[in-house]
Amino acid sequence: MLKATLRSFLAHKGRLLLSALAVVLSVAFVAGSLIFSDTVTRTFDRLFASTSADVTVEPKQDLKSSVPTGATETVPAALAGQVAKVAGVAATHADVSVQNIVVVDSKDKSVGPTTGAPTIATDWYLTDRSPVKLTSGHAPQGAGQALLDADTANNKHVKIGDTLTVQAQPGSFKVEIVGIATFTTTNPGAALVFLDPATAKSQLLGASDRATSISVDAAKGVSDAVLKQRVAAAIGSSGSYDIKTADEQAKSAAADLGGFLDVIKYVMLGFAGIAVLVGVFLIVNTFSMLIAQRTRELGLLRALGADRKQVRRSVLTEALLLGLVGSTLGLAAGIGLAVGLIKLMTAFGMNLKTAEMVVNWPTPVAAYVVGVGVTFVAAYLPARRAATVSPMAALADAEVAGVGRPLRVRAVVGSIVGAIGVAALAGCAAATKTASSASLLGLGIVLTLIATVIAGPLLVRPMIRVLGGAFPALFGSVGRMSQRNALRNPRRTGATAAALMVGLALVGGMSVASASMSKSFDQQIDKTLGADFVIQNGSFVPFSKEVTDHVRATDGVGLVVRARFAPLAVRLPDGKRVETTAAGYDSPLDKVAHIKYAQGNTTSALAAGHLAMDVDFAKDHKVRLGSVLPVEFPGGRTTQLTVGALSDQGTAGGFGTQGGLFFGIATVEKYVPNGQDSTLYVNAASGTGADQLRKALDTTLKPYPQVQVRDEADYKKLIHDQIAVLLYLVYALLGLAIVIAVLGVVNTLALSVVERTREIGLLRAIGLGRRQLRRMIRLESVVIAVFGAVLGLGLGLVWGVCAQQVLALQGMKALAVPWTTIIAVVIGSAVVGIVAALLPALRASRMNVLAAIAHE
Amino acid sequence: MSTPAAEHAPGQAPAGRIAARARGLTKAYGSGETTVLALDAVDVDIARGRFTAVMGPSGSGKSTLMHCLAGLDTVSAGQVWLGDTEITGLKDRELTRLRRDRIGFMFQSFNLIPTLNAAENITLPMDIAGQKPDQKWLDQVIDTLGLRDRLKHRPSQLSGGQQQRVACARALASRPELIFADEPTGNLDSRAGLEVLGFLRDAVDGLGQSVVMVTHDPGAAAHSDLVLFLADGRIVDEMERPTAEGVLERMKRFDLARGQLDGPPAATGDTEDKD
Repeated sequence: MLKATLRSFLAHKGRLLLSALAVVLSVAFVAGSLIFSDTVTRTFDRLFASTSADVTVEPKQDLKSSVPTGATETVPAALAGQVAKVAGVAATHADVSVQNIVVVDSKDKSVGPTTGAPTIATDWYLTDRSPVKLTSGHAPQGAGQALLDADTANNKHVKIGDTLTVQAQPGSFKVEIVGIATFTTTNPGAALVFLDPATAKSQLLGASDRATSISVDAAKGVSDAVLKQRVAAAIGSSGSYDIKTADEQAKSAAADLGGFLDVIKYVMLGFAGIAVLVGVFLIVNTFSMLIAQRTRELGLLRALGADRKQVRRSVLTEALLLGLVGSTLGLAAGIGLAVGLIKLMTAFGMNLKTAEMVVNWPTPVAAYVVGVGVTFVAAYLPARRAATVSPMAALADAEVAGVGRPLRVRAVVGSIVGAIGVAALAGCAAATKTASSASLLGLGIVLTLIATVIAGPLLVRPMIRVLGGAFPALFGSVGRMSQRNALRNPRRTGATAAALMVGLALVGGMSVASASMSKSFDQQIDKTLGADFVIQNGSFVPFSKEVTDHVRATDGVGLVVRARFAPLAVRLPDGKRVETTAAGYDSPLDKVAHIKYAQGNTTSALAAGHLAMDVDFAKDHKVRLGSVLPVEFPGGRTTQLTVGALSDQGTAGGFGTQGGLFFGIATVEKYVPNGQDSTLYVNAASGTGADQLRKALDTTLKPYPQVQVRDEADYKKLIHDQIAVLLYLVYALLGLAIVIAVLGVVNTLALSVVERTREIGLLRAIGLGRRQLRRMIRLESVVIAVFGAVLGLGLGLVWGVCAQQVLALQGMKALAVPWTTIIAVVIGSAVVGIVAALLPALRASRMNVLAAIAHE
Repeated sequence: MSTPAAEHAPGQAPAGRIAARARGLTKAYGSGETTVLALDAVDVDIARGRFTAVMGPSGSGKSTLMHCLAGLDTVSAGQVWLGDTEITGLKDRELTRLRRDRIGFMFQSFNLIPTLNAAENITLPMDIAGQKPDQKWLDQVIDTLGLRDRLKHRPSQLSGGQQQRVACARALASRPELIFADEPTGNLDSRAGLEVLGFLRDAVDGLGQSVVMVTHDPGAAAHSDLVLFLADGRIVDEMERPTAEGVLERMKRFDLARGQLDGPPAATGDTEDKD
């Protein structure tokens, strides 16, 4: 029996090719993402482990802001001397390292990375842990001298002797590049500027007695853990410091980077998931068709005495072989994919070495589990069907076997699952709490997707009758035959279209959600923004005070309102402690923004010792106007603030700013000292035109490439672009889903062509031209693809509308359906159909007429 | 012994009486040592308005002859004409058009497109050509074949005999110059087979059609006007106004010859001698 299985596998290897490709793609993405993230993790673990001091003393990091504040927390530099006296300490150093800077060259161009990686300014203090060494020039001495890392110097064409401007929080200063430092370890992609220690403290922190951390070297024979305890005992661990051993420091540094790496990993796994999901349909179809074509052969096996179990096992063994071959190739492809990603990261400035690629044991295990598992599961149903082939099938004409089986079970299961799914979606739309609404949405999406997949074949007849309805009129009998061919085996058509449906449903839903978000933000901006211009960084990073000063001094500027952010934790009357981020504004806020209040007004909200919050959030937590709330700020600073106003903007939460808290900018300046402005709202002075002011502002901001002037339209575009990033990701997922779906359509058509060999031969014999034959197959492909697209987009629209209901709870109340996108996708799916039909059509038209009609 | 080739020198036959014609028609498979001659320089004339049967044992080349005459297969050497048109050397597109417009086909099985109903199958060649069928003629064909109440049925809803009648109707519907029927009764029971043969006979007698039927059933061949006997790629005999017994008798002699030879078809010459 095994021999027969092997023979059959080898005999059908051409027909299994596309299924194998689907397995390869899925496995490649799984393996690639694991290898890539393992490699990156190990590279950075090594980097951090080798660069971390034995013990590090840092400012306590209790509150983390989701919005950057531009402030750098510090420790007293004198702490280094204090720690040096602890027994077992060999040496200490007061480090300075800040990321809230911008470095520009003489042409006012930023020399920082364009990838979102930070520009870091630090003190030049060479130890055996330093990730860099001086490769040319000399160490910086005194103010006005600096080193630059070699990669940045190369990329931005900076040479020794060039002058750069460092825009730090205390103020800008010019430095001459006197040397180049080269990474001895992996460069994580940041730009590094080194200053001498004294200059670093005064110019970067604005205080010669502060440092950003204290690094401690242990004496011989003293372990890091022991030293940590001693240091903690000497300076008090519970207070305002975090004390970490080298291991802990490396781990927390890796965790910070991990967030970014996780994104890449999850995106990759998302691709793998889509590939698996879509690939399953392809494999199910292939096995179903192979079995349909082999009904006679299976019947013969049964007639010769093979029992059902043996037949089923034979099919599943074939699936196993396919899975093994696919997984092995997929693993190889995954390694290739990882190499590609590593190269890509290198292009972005993160120097990873492909030679140091890590393949941990879970990678091949995952690859084979996914590859073999998927194939096995996908082949299981067809295998069971194969086992039910009766011995009589060997004798009967097998042409129509398996086509007419009723779809009753599918109808029942599909409608039950669908009903639950629709109920979940309805519940999602009706829910008033974001969390429950979102989980109902998730449940509804999964269930309706499953229901559509199950019931898909039932929708084939009615929908393809409509979609291909014009074919007979437009294309005559060729059109009629193609439409009916698509209707011929609803299961097959359904499964083929389902592959396309999955991807397009996702896109449909996401595009409705993002269009709705954009529209909501537009409405919000229209409603609230009253400023002529908004000045901010494209990625909302705060900027130095000089910018604010220069803008204020610009001719034609009437009013400037600053906005800053502060992370805080607030203890609410219902006993809850909520960590969030609050905004601080200058008092003439009403001139640049239209804020609706349920109680109070801007003056009472921004008054000293007061704050405002969203009225719904207040209601939920039993906050009233006049409530006094204990508030914690970073660095252990605490205070009590009185609720001075309740705003009613309809936009509670979102972007980590739960509760919509805001207060006077003085509060931020007091409790988050050394912060930077995030946004400037600017109004023109009377008598100054907007165009005139814009020109003046552009001139003022020329030396500050990190900030831009935006009017209302530009500001909307900025928001749209941010939302679009999400969409690009979805489009990339869609691209992959479509590639596999096309493989699926190609697969189905190719196998159908083989199945219909005699029919095609007959058509050719009685005079169907090759072009007509190709058109027939193309039309069938188009109608299947459009069917999948319509089904997917229909589902996606429903999801999108429900998702918008969830967003509405977050204040994004507008619903927008991007019809142009949707129509473009339908047209695109027709193109997909045409492309998918190319090879099968060519193959059919090349078919030997005689071989096709021969019966001797 | 007289072969058709002896009667008609090349180019002499009046085109008006000849539906199809082959001269030196040779079809070889493979190359070099392993070459197998399916047709060996066959000369044949198919008369217009007659029912010609081609008989021969399996592997005699009778199907190959039909395929070459119908423009389904290429020839290795020789010439083939359909009416006045030389079809050897025509491109695929021209051949396709020729089959569509001037030839009707009936095969042993799988004659109909399963997704089309009977009426659509009957008019398929004309639909493909984008031509309107002659409704009066079509009605006559449909009524003659007794398919009036089966027109909306799909092939799977028709019996084997009904399916062959639909195929017959399709072959007749476009009034082709020549109908090729390849074992049209091979898959039918004797009653349905007789029915189909009767229709083909009627098409020749009543409608003036020309029919070439390939068969190995002497009973079927007996319905024809002329039987051509093929053996090892050559026309070895012919029989006017055949009877089933006569044909059977003739066929037995092939079997005898084969039995004596007990060898590969390379011994073509021997067979020829015996005839």
